[in-house]
Amino acid sequence: MNSFLNAIISGLISGSLYAATALGLTIIYGVSRVFNFAHGIVAVMGAYLAWTLLSSGGQLNLLLGIVVSLGVMYIFGTLVYRFTINPLMKKPGWDISTVLFLLGGGILLENVLLQIYGPRIKSIPVLVDGSIKFGPIVIQWNDLLLIVIAVFGIVVLNMFFKHTRMGQAMRSTAQSMPGAKVVGIDIEKIFGLTFGLAFAVTGFSGVLLSTKYFLNPHIGWEWMVKGFVIVSFGGLGSTNGAIFPGLILGIVEALVTLYLGAMWVWPIWFAIFLIVLLIRPQGILGGRV
Amino acid sequence: MVNSGEVVALFGPNGHGKSTLLKTISGLHQASAGSIKFNGLEISSLPSHKIVEMGIAYIPEERHLFRDMTVMENLKMGAYNRRARPSTQQNLAFVLEVFPRLVERKDQLTSTLSGGESRMVAVARGLMSEPTLLMVDEPSIGLSPGMRHAVFDSITKINREKKITILIVEQEIRNALKLANRIYMLKKGHILFERSATEVNVEEIEKAYF
Repeated sequence: MNSFLNAIISGLISGSLYAATALGLTIIYGVSRVFNFAHGIVAVMGAYLAWTLLSSGGQLNLLLGIVVSLGVMYIFGTLVYRFTINPLMKKPGWDISTVLFLLGGGILLENVLLQIYGPRIKSIPVLVDGSIKFGPIVIQWNDLLLIVIAVFGIVVLNMFFKHTRMGQAMRSTAQSMPGAKVVGIDIEKIFGLTFGLAFAVTGFSGVLLSTKYFLNPHIGWEWMVKGFVIVSFGGLGSTNGAIFPGLILGIVEALVTLYLGAMWVWPIWFAIFLIVLLIRPQGILGGRV
Repeated sequence: MVNSGEVVALFGPNGHGKSTLLKTISGLHQASAGSIKFNGLEISSLPSHKIVEMGIAYIPEERHLFRDMTVMENLKMGAYNRRARPSTQQNLAFVLEVFPRLVERKDQLTSTLSGGESRMVAVARGLMSEPTLLMVDEPSIGLSPGMRHAVFDSITKINREKKITILIVEQEIRNALKLANRIYMLKKGHILFERSATEVNVEEIEKAYF
């Protein structure tokens, strides 16, 4: 029973991190209809940026590292859009060409990171030490903090979409591109901002994931696949639709590990993915950015 | 050629370029040749958001509403451009006066509206951008006769009260003629003829369709 409860808790923790990483994927697709195949490597890059500052000393540098990582990833995202995706989108067949470009660019970036940081596993240390006990259940303060950060981030993001002019313009573009043009939204500018925002969010999710798990240049593909399965529940382009599937899949993963063994995690993830696609290819929960 | 304050109707068979013309003026399509001038300025190479900012609003036949937003949110998005934003409240009051039905519907998602109501939201959203030229594509298509009258009446009102110039594409010839000062007949992408409302006759227009 105790191990069951502990599995649920640890599932909720990893699930909220998976939900956070799925957000970046779904934001870009929702607004611009570009599928970011470099998603995982973007998360990894954000994590390495934070790690770089961290490794040059001190706990304070982790906060600094996160801030720098958010800023650099935002700028990187807008530049990627401006100089690669934007010209591709002006040509026919952009839905395929952008996917291929991002896939190729992702592999390139993965190998650049491999050259710089090497293949050895890095980890970002926990943000806070210690643990708290609720009867038989032990929760690390760090895990609790991760959930709080992930939930807080999602709430802030939703408020941004709902209440700011820029967020509303992103939602409008997601719901109808011609409609957005007709009301006078500069959709190319919105796409650029969306890429910046999504890269920052994705990079940040990479930092969070690396405090819980580990970091190497290849781990991004795993994160991307998980993000993709989560997003398939809500339908690509739904931010709210990423949250509950993230939590549920996190719990499923923890229970599978507990009762069947870790080797069953991936087969179960993919089985769930296939079932979702068979039942409702547009997503079970629906709803857009 | 449309003069300030006029209502001009475009007629012509389906697929002969009426909607394409409006889409090209509004910057949704790129013109392959020719020029489009607005208040003497060449606008054919401008992107759509610049054109909205200059005061041209386009109401597409397909409406293109934001489906997961309420009527009110849709209207406020209409005032997105920098020029219209300061007067959002006045414009909102005016469009709700023209379309009183939308007051009852203001908190409903637009995906739950009827065809006629969606059309009203589309026109109202276009007005929120504070245009001097309003281009409306087939406002009455698919509507009940009662709803059609409501939509035509509101377009007349928009023209009279706000002095907004109107360019309308319409298949409902008789209704459109009541509204228009002048008409153009388009066929195969060219102007077949032009008439003022006083000299026009319905038979001539109907004949031109075949």
